[in-house]
Amino acid sequence: MDRVRRDPAAAILALLVAAAVSLTLLYPLANVLGQAIFDEQGNVDLAPILRIFTAAVPRTVLGNTLVMGIAAGTGATLLGFAFALATARAATGALRRVLHYAALLPLIAPPFALALSTIFLFGRQGLLTRGLLHIETDPYGLSGLLFVQIITFFPVAYLIFDSLVRQLDPALEEAALNLGASRLRILRTVVIPLLRPGFAAAFLIIFVESLADLANPLLIGGDFNVLASSAYLSIVGEFDTRKAVAYSVVLMLPSLIAYFAQRIWVGEHSVVTVTGKPSTGRVQTLGSSFRVGLLVVTGITAALVALLYLTIIAGAFTKLLGINNTVTLDNFRFVLGGIGTRAMTDTTLLSAIAAPIAALLGLVAAYLVVRTRIPGRIAFDYLVMLGAAAPGIVLGLGILLAFNHRPLLLSGTAAIFVIAFVVRTAPVSLRSTVAALLQIDPSLEQASANLGAGPATTFRRVTFPLVRRAVLSGTIFSFTRNMTALSTIALLVTPNWRIMTAQILNEIDAQRLGSGAAYSTILIVIVLVAIIALDRLFGRAAIEVAA
Amino acid sequence: MSAYLRLRALEKRFPNGTVALDGIDLDVAEGELVALLGPSGCGKTTTLRCIAGFEDPSGGTIELAGKRIDLVPPDRRGATMVFQGYALFPHLSVFENVAYGLRVRHVSGTALRDRVAAALGLVGLGGLEQRRPQQLSGGQQQRVALARALILEPKLLLFDEPLSNLDAKLREQMRLEIRTLQQRVGITSVYVTHDQAEAMTLADRVAVMNNGLIAQLGTPRQIYDEPADRFVAAFVGHANFVRGTVRGPDGDTLVVETLGTARRTSFPVGPYAVDSLVDVMVRPEEVHLVAPETPGTLRAIVIATSFLGSSALYQLAVGDEQLVATVPMERGVALQPPGATVGLRIRDGALRSFPAPLS
Repeated sequence: MDRVRRDPAAAILALLVAAAVSLTLLYPLANVLGQAIFDEQGNVDLAPILRIFTAAVPRTVLGNTLVMGIAAGTGATLLGFAFALATARAATGALRRVLHYAALLPLIAPPFALALSTIFLFGRQGLLTRGLLHIETDPYGLSGLLFVQIITFFPVAYLIFDSLVRQLDPALEEAALNLGASRLRILRTVVIPLLRPGFAAAFLIIFVESLADLANPLLIGGDFNVLASSAYLSIVGEFDTRKAVAYSVVLMLPSLIAYFAQRIWVGEHSVVTVTGKPSTGRVQTLGSSFRVGLLVVTGITAALVALLYLTIIAGAFTKLLGINNTVTLDNFRFVLGGIGTRAMTDTTLLSAIAAPIAALLGLVAAYLVVRTRIPGRIAFDYLVMLGAAAPGIVLGLGILLAFNHRPLLLSGTAAIFVIAFVVRTAPVSLRSTVAALLQIDPSLEQASANLGAGPATTFRRVTFPLVRRAVLSGTIFSFTRNMTALSTIALLVTPNWRIMTAQILNEIDAQRLGSGAAYSTILIVIVLVAIIALDRLFGRAAIEVAA
Repeated sequence: MSAYLRLRALEKRFPNGTVALDGIDLDVAEGELVALLGPSGCGKTTTLRCIAGFEDPSGGTIELAGKRIDLVPPDRRGATMVFQGYALFPHLSVFENVAYGLRVRHVSGTALRDRVAAALGLVGLGGLEQRRPQQLSGGQQQRVALARALILEPKLLLFDEPLSNLDAKLREQMRLEIRTLQQRVGITSVYVTHDQAEAMTLADRVAVMNNGLIAQLGTPRQIYDEPADRFVAAFVGHANFVRGTVRGPDGDTLVVETLGTARRTSFPVGPYAVDSLVDVMVRPEEVHLVAPETPGTLRAIVIATSFLGSSALYQLAVGDEQLVATVPMERGVALQPPGATVGLRIRDGALRSFPAPLS
């Protein structure tokens, strides 16, 4: 309490931020929980939730969801590990850079884009399968879904392993080699055990992301229904809110458990920090056949990533890729002539408004958590993290339920999107700023105080300049995520504000795959331009940080 | 001697039950440099951080220039600190680092430039204003930290092991520089270090700390020649301890039977019952080697020797006790081989008794 008394400004700030986060994040989630547990009359009624565990169809949906999460988590983790190992210990020079960027590229893919090009390439009319290899394939279902999810999510694992592998002192591997261990044994007894936190973190994070994924199950899942898509369809197709909230609550449970298990076990190690340290492989500690295998696997994946992106672009510039390959600008004319232009400006505007707010919220929260002794700051940390832990569809549903009546009537306003974007992306900014703050020796701030600067001056002149890069990367990340968010805003869209990802969903629903590809291409270009522009403006490495 | 900095019954208890400071009383006179010397965990850094305001004392008071400062926020205490890792702001130039405190006080323009130039001149760093701290050597960073603290003309200068990151040669040089500068500016200083040579070189007085208490406060000469307890004797310089039995007081000395003879030793305050056991301390340089069987000397066997350049270290056995002797070397004089018998002469005045530990 002594500290609170001494720094009342921090205490007031903490109260304000906690109140704001409670209203925009905790209250919506409580709404979901409340509507799942109570019926319209306010009586406890657990039937809708219990139905998911007892009735045949929802039980299959639950099983599907867990199978998808575990399989995607495992596959993407292993692929990410292979990429990290390949870039750190096998590939050199240009090949290393190619693999590195190929592993980052899917991070900026809008939802649907990879699924769309997968359908173009491997679908019933697939360019590769039917056109080139003359085989019948059906990507709709678990296999196609897993393929797309693994490509989408392996970069997450790559980034985690990449930072861990860079921190791995090559001297350890050299020491093992020096002691007579075989190269495979080094991998098994030195490298993998040291990276164990990375495996746990990557698997759990991807599990959570996979469960939260809405676009891919909708587009390529076929009859393979999962909780997120079922919750969405319950609202959009059946207008059955109670069914939707029941699916949401059941979906929230494994997500929250996995997310917070990851936070507690792995702690700050899971935060990917970009260091300037070069990974020095002075001695080759991977066997040559293993190295070749690694390069083949990662090389093919990288080629596939590039192919998927090119296919999107090709899809945007042809009448209907695979069926009618006439080159045309019709898709762009259709998109930009219709509501596409508005969707572009609306989405960019909302994303750009929300991004700095999210980064700032993350900064304030990180400062309160790391640099003050305010009671309850750990609980506050977890509260903010809920925004990333809860699946987007659940968060979106909660925001919809919380703000669709007076006095908090926000449906259809810009504010509701900004709220959704901010609570969704502030956690990442919080984590990266916490990591940055932890790297600042407290003696710097003490030196400032010692030289006569009060807390506000110290923050302005010392702390903030030193975490500015983390705040910037938080802004870029938030902007990127906002531009490409679907699950969070899928239930919030109204004709007042047009969101590009929701438009893509409409186009695909209407079987206009070419327009979907055109939208996706535009979205990719906006995101890339924004990242590169911010990067040029504020400093190098922002691309990697944002990724 | 009037106290300029006055610590009274300063205590610091951490929530986990650790007692870092167990009641410190310390007076520092104006212009004086007092070193807090002790092993890690003795409370010396905690004392310094309490003075600077980075730790809240659990009890006691701190007065500076007649005013209580222990409740004043750290940014208004008027005691600037030279940090262990220097804590130079990595995003600011040397000039801006040194100017920092003045800018906080809204000094600008020519006045700012002149004072920064003067402060950098004082530490011999003119011309490096536009460098970043990372581009400087360890010694230069040290000087920037010093200039940054001095420019505010503080009432009190605090040093937190400022030389511990430097290599041995540079450390010795900076020691002398800091001492010269401190005396020239005449600034009251508290200097934390675990290096006794540093404390002895720099300080007017040394406070040897142990377990959150000041074990002894005195001039370097006093703490070396008349250590207050066994801990101070062992921590400051090298010391041999041998067993002894109290035979009784004799004037201002204590007669103790040790190494086979009754000797008159000096002693700090303490209960010394007749026949009780004491530890008798003798510094290695007070153990003189003489020809064997010289009358009035002890008989010792050489166990091992090491040549150190200007002196040699002898490890010796006297009965069942062991002693280390430092013997000045002269060119051409051979060391005694292990196993050789030598004579030892130790003056009574070099012996000091301490109550033996209870164990």
